[in-house]
Amino acid sequence: MSRPTKAPDKAPDRITTPITGGVGESPLRPDGTLKVKGEFAYSSDLWMDDMLWGATLRSPHPYARIVSIDLSGAWQTPGVHTVMTYDDVPGEKLFGLEHTDQPVMAHEVVRYQGEAVAIVAADHPETARRAVDKIVVEYEVLEPLTDAEEAVFATDAPTLHPGGNLVRHLPIRRGDQHATADVVVRGEYEVGMQDQAFLGPESGLAVPAEDGGVDLYIATQWLHVDQKQVAKCLGLPNDKVRLMLAGVGGAFGAREDLSMQVHASMLALRTGRPVKIVYSREESFFGHVHRHPAKLYYEHGATREGRLVYVKARMFLDGGAYASSTGAVVANAATLGVGPYEAPNVTIDCWGAYTNNPPCGAMRGFGAVQAAFAYESQMDRLAAELGLDPVEVRVRNAMAEGTTMPTGQVVDSAAPVAEMLRRVEAMPLPPAAPTDSYDLRELPGGVSNTTHGEGVVRGIGYGIGIKNVCFSEGFDDFSTARVRLEVIAGEPTAMVHTAAAEVGQGLVTVQAQIARTELGVERVTIHPADTQVGSGGSTSASRQTYMTGGAVKAACEKVRGLLLDIARERLHVEGQLHLDGGKIVSDRHGVLADLAEVLGDEVIDETVEWRHRPTEALDPTTGQGFAHVQYAFAVHRAVVDVDVDLGLVRVVALDCVQDVGKAINPDAVVGQIHGGSAQGLGLAVMEEIQVRDGKIRNPSFTDYLIPTILDMPPMKVDVLELADPHAPYGLRGVGEPPTISSTPAIVAAIRAATGLAIPRCPVRPEDITGTA
Amino acid sequence: MKPFAYTRAHTVWDAVAAVSAEPGARYLAGGTEMVNLVREGQESPDRLVDIGDLPLTEVRVHGRGVRIGALAKRVHEHPEVRRRLPVLAEAGLSAASPQVRNVATPGGNLLQRTRCHYFRDVRFPCNRREPGTGCAALRGVNRNNAIFGGSEHCVAVHPSDIAVALTALDAVVHTHGPAGERVIPVEELYRLPGDEPNRETVLDHGELIVAIDVPPTPFAARSHYLKLRDRASFAFALVSVAVALDVRAGVTHDVRIALGGVAPRPWRARAAEDALRGRRFDDDARAAAGEAATTGAKPLPHNEFKVELVRRAVVRALSEVEGR
Amino acid sequence: MRLRCEVNGESREVDDVWPGESLLYVLRERMGLPGSKNACEQGECGSCTVYLDGVPVCSCLVAAGQAEGHEVTTVEGLAEGEQLDPVQQAFVEKGAVQCGFCTPGLIVATHDLLERRERPSDPEIREALAGNLCRCTGYEKILDAVRLAADRKAVS
Repeated sequence: MSRPTKAPDKAPDRITTPITGGVGESPLRPDGTLKVKGEFAYSSDLWMDDMLWGATLRSPHPYARIVSIDLSGAWQTPGVHTVMTYDDVPGEKLFGLEHTDQPVMAHEVVRYQGEAVAIVAADHPETARRAVDKIVVEYEVLEPLTDAEEAVFATDAPTLHPGGNLVRHLPIRRGDQHATADVVVRGEYEVGMQDQAFLGPESGLAVPAEDGGVDLYIATQWLHVDQKQVAKCLGLPNDKVRLMLAGVGGAFGAREDLSMQVHASMLALRTGRPVKIVYSREESFFGHVHRHPAKLYYEHGATREGRLVYVKARMFLDGGAYASSTGAVVANAATLGVGPYEAPNVTIDCWGAYTNNPPCGAMRGFGAVQAAFAYESQMDRLAAELGLDPVEVRVRNAMAEGTTMPTGQVVDSAAPVAEMLRRVEAMPLPPAAPTDSYDLRELPGGVSNTTHGEGVVRGIGYGIGIKNVCFSEGFDDFSTARVRLEVIAGEPTAMVHTAAAEVGQGLVTVQAQIARTELGVERVTIHPADTQVGSGGSTSASRQTYMTGGAVKAACEKVRGLLLDIARERLHVEGQLHLDGGKIVSDRHGVLADLAEVLGDEVIDETVEWRHRPTEALDPTTGQGFAHVQYAFAVHRAVVDVDVDLGLVRVVALDCVQDVGKAINPDAVVGQIHGGSAQGLGLAVMEEIQVRDGKIRNPSFTDYLIPTILDMPPMKVDVLELADPHAPYGLRGVGEPPTISSTPAIVAAIRAATGLAIPRCPVRPEDITGTA
Repeated sequence: MKPFAYTRAHTVWDAVAAVSAEPGARYLAGGTEMVNLVREGQESPDRLVDIGDLPLTEVRVHGRGVRIGALAKRVHEHPEVRRRLPVLAEAGLSAASPQVRNVATPGGNLLQRTRCHYFRDVRFPCNRREPGTGCAALRGVNRNNAIFGGSEHCVAVHPSDIAVALTALDAVVHTHGPAGERVIPVEELYRLPGDEPNRETVLDHGELIVAIDVPPTPFAARSHYLKLRDRASFAFALVSVAVALDVRAGVTHDVRIALGGVAPRPWRARAAEDALRGRRFDDDARAAAGEAATTGAKPLPHNEFKVELVRRAVVRALSEVEGR
Repeated sequence: MRLRCEVNGESREVDDVWPGESLLYVLRERMGLPGSKNACEQGECGSCTVYLDGVPVCSCLVAAGQAEGHEVTTVEGLAEGEQLDPVQQAFVEKGAVQCGFCTPGLIVATHDLLERRERPSDPEIREALAGNLCRCTGYEKILDAVRLAADRKAVS
C-alpha cells in the first residue's frame, strides 16, 4: 500500500474524541468540537508548502462549436506552471455516473454554459485566474436547445448527443388503461431548478505520488465512484489513484458527480507538484449538477367518495447537457408518481431529456420532489372538487403495508401514512396571527416594515411524500466496513474504517454508536474514509445509516464471533456468550472476564461487504418490477401568513411527522428533518436557478436566495419508529423524505390563504399579487 | 483581477488629491462593495485609496438638522436618527446583514453599483460597465430592472435603501473635489442613464462625499420605509417606498414619497405627493396616491408586476405611517 | 506588501501580500488560520465572520490593507486552550453543527450577540444571525444553542 510522499497540512485525521451512547441514544458528534473551534479540516483548508493552484476556463456559451483555442497568453503569464486542454487528458476522455457522456474538458463543442474548456496551474490562485482570462477561444455560437419537451418530441430539434436527446423514458402501466371516473381533476405543474447550495465549495488537493499515481484529498459523496472515473480518465489503474475524504461542507447530491477531481489530478501529474483547486461560489453554481426542473401534466380520476380510480401523468425532466443521474431520477419520479396512495389504475410516462441547460442530477429527494409537488397539488384539487378536507381525502387513499405500488411491488413493511396524517393534523397549531401585541419580525416582510397585520391572511396546508431508500432497479448496492478490535493502553478499542462519506449528517457518530453497541466497548475510533478499504457506496438515497450502518454492524458481529470463540477457548466455557461493558458475559454464569484480558495482544481485524436485499430491474414497457428496497414517508403541515396585498409569505409553522423505523440517533434524526424541511421551504418560496437561453442568471448567494434564520419557522417534529424487518435495527432512511413533503405543504397553505391555483414553485410575490 | 496599488489617506485633502491625480484611482471606504467589484471585475482600478481613517464618522444634531459623516457606522442605530428620521433608520436596518452593516458606510452606500445581473456578470454586454457594448437586460431576464427612468441603453435600478429614504427627507450630500466643495441634493446626485449609462452620478473624478445633511422638516419625524423583497432579510428591494408626512388636522400639509428598486436612481413620486397635498389624508387620498405613483411607468416584459406592487406598496406605506 | 495586525492576541506580520487579497485569504492561506470559511466570498453567507476591532465583519469583504494595524479575532481565538467558549460548547451540545461549514461564522456572530445582549428574544436572535446562512440544520438547533449559551452566560 503506497502512501503519499508527504501528507498535506490539515489532512483528514482519525477521529478519536470519545462518544458515550449506543444505538438509540443521542451522543454528541465526535467531530463537533473540532468544528466549533474552526479546526476541522475541510477540503478547501488543505495546504502544502510547494502546492500550486488550479483554475478552470469555462464556456460562456450554452451551445457552441470550438473553432480554435489559443493558450499562448496563459503560458506566457509569469507564475504559470502548466496549461491543459482536452488533448492532454491522458486516459478516457469522457466520464459520467450512469452514461459516459461528459468530456473531462470540452472537445470541439460546448453543450452548456460553464463547461470546462481548459485548466491552468499557477503559484497563486489569482495568477491562475488571470492566466485563464488570457486564453482565447474562438466559438461558433449555436442556437441552444432549452426545452425538455421539445428536445424529446420536436422533429427539428438539434441532436445534442450521438444517441439522441432522450436520456430515458419510463412508462408505468398498471390496471385498466381506459378507466373512467365520476370526478376528474387535471393540472399542469412546474418545478423550478433548485440548487443544493451546500456551503463548502468544490475543492481538493491532488498530490503526485512516487509511484506515478496520485493522492487526491477531496470532498465527495462517493469515494470509489470518483476513484473509478478519475483513474480511467488519467489512464491509471485504480490502485494508483488513492482518494482520501477531506472535510465535506455539505453535499445534498451535488457532490455525486465529478467536479475538479480529474482536473486537479491532471495538473498535479503534469507539474509534479501538489495542486489545489477551490471553486468560488459562482463557479460552484456552474461546477455541479442541480435539481431537474420539471413540467408535469396530471389527471386524477376518483369516485364521489374520494377514492382514486386512476392516475395519469406525463412528466418532463430537464437533464441539461449531460446525463449525470437523470435515468435514476426519471425512475423515481415515475415509480413514485402517484405518491403514497392506493390507485388501482396508473398510466405514467416520465421523460428525461438532454438540453443545453445546466446539467441536472442528484439533489435530496431525487425525482420524488418534483412528482410530490404535482400529486399533492392534485390531491388538494381533488379535495376541493369533492368538498372534502385535504387530510380526509389523503387518508381515504392512504397506502399501507400490503399496498401494491404502481410498479406491482407489494409494500412489505410499515407504511403508516394514514396515522402520520392524523398525527400531524392533531399537533397543536401556532397562536392566531398577532393583532395588537406583536413583533414585526414575526409578520410577513419581517424587518422590512411592510405590515402591522393589514392584508395578512393565514393558511394551512398539508403535504406528504414517499421516497425509496438505497439504490434501486437491481443495482448491486453494497457497503464495506472494516472493524479492528485490539487492546490499547489496557483498554479494548474498536476502530471502524469505511469509505462512506460523512457530509455533515452524522454518519461518524452512528458508526461509533453501532460499534459500541455491538462490541460492548467504550472506546471507538473512526478511521478517515479513504479508498484503502472497499466501497461504502454513495452518501445519497438516504442510504448510509442503512448500508454502512448495516456493514459496520455486520463487521462487528463477525469480530464479536471471533472474540467469543477466543473467549470460549481461553476460558474453557461453552454456550451463549455476549459482550457488555467491556466484559465477556455468559448467559448462565454472568461476567466471566474482561474483554481486554481475553483478547490480550491479539488483534481482530475483519472486513465485511454488506448488501441490502436484491431488487430487480423495471420492465421497460410497463415499468413493473420489485425495484425499490424500502419506502420512507414524511408528512408536513405548514401554517403560513400571507400578505395578500403585497405578495409576501411568512411560514409560521412547519411541523412534521416521519417514520424512521428505528432512530439510531434521535437528535440527529430530528436535525435531518429540520434541515430537509428547510430545503423544501426554500423550493416553495424562493429558490430557483433562473436560466434563460441556457444561461444562468443568478449564480451567487446575492441572487440565488436560500432561507435565512429569519425565514424559518419553529418546527415541531414527531418521530415514529415502526421497524422494517428487512433493515438493520429496523431503521428507515431519514434524510430525504422531509425535503419532499415540506414544499407541497407550504404551497398548499399559500393556496389556502389566497384562493389562488399556484401551479408553479417557487412562489414569488407576483404569483400572489396576481400581477405576474 | 488586475493588479492595483493600495494606499491609505489620512486627510480629506490627501485623499482627494490622490484619487484626482490618477484616472484609474478609486476610493475604498468600508469595502463591502468595492472589494467585491474589484474581485469580480466590474471595477479594475489602478489604485485604491483607503479613506477608512478619515475623521468623517460623526453623526451630529445641530440647528440645521442632522449631519451624518460619510463614514459613520450603523447610522440606523443612532438614537437621534431613530427618533428624528425613522425612515432613514428603517431603511438602514433593512439593508444587507449585520456583518455588512457593521462596516458599510453611508457614502459608500449611496455610491454602490446596480445589482442588475447583466452588470454584475462580466460575461454579458453592459453599457453601464462597458460603454457601447449593449444592454443584455433589455432582452434578458429583466424582472429586477427599472420601470421608471430607464433608456434603450440601460434599465438598471439603483440598489440603495438609504438613498430612497434620504430623497424623501430632502437630504443633501457635501462633497470635496478637485474643484472645491459643493452641495448636491441626494436625488440629483444620480444621472439617469440616457445614452451614457456609464456616467452614474454627477460627481467628478476624485470628488468625495464627506457628509450627508438632513434638514429639519415638518415631515421627517412621521416617516416610514417599506421594502418588498424575495426573502425576509438580506435581499435587495423589488419595490421599496419611503414616505414622510406632515398631516395637520387631517389634511396633508406636505409629503415626500420616494421609490426604490424601480429606477436607476431613487425615484421621487411627485404625482403621488400632489395627489395628497392639501387633501384629507384618508383612504381615497391614499388610493389616489398609489395610482399616481405609477404614472409614467414603462414596465419591461418580466417586471410588469412592479407597477401594481408600487401602487399597493405606496398605499400600504401611507397607512403604516398614519399610525405613527 | 507587508501586513501587520494583531490576530487572536498575537502580533502577526506577513510579507508579499497582494493588495487584492482579502483578510479572509490572508488568514486562511498566509497565517494558517483556515477556521474562517470561504463559502461565498461575496459577503452573503457570513461563514467568514471575524471580529475586526471588536466588531463582527465578513472578512471576505475586507481588503487586506484595511486590516493593517487593526485587531482581528477569529473563531480559533475564542476557546481558552481546551476550554471551549460557552457559545462553542452550546453548539456542540445542542446538535447545532452538521457539516459545520457555517459554524465558525455563526459562533462569532452569536458570541457578539451575547456580548451585547443578555438573554435575547427569539426574534432578536433571528435578526442578529440573519447574515449567516446554514444549509444543513434549518436553524432550529442553532436557536436552541444560542438560547442555551445565553442562559449559561446569564447565570455565570
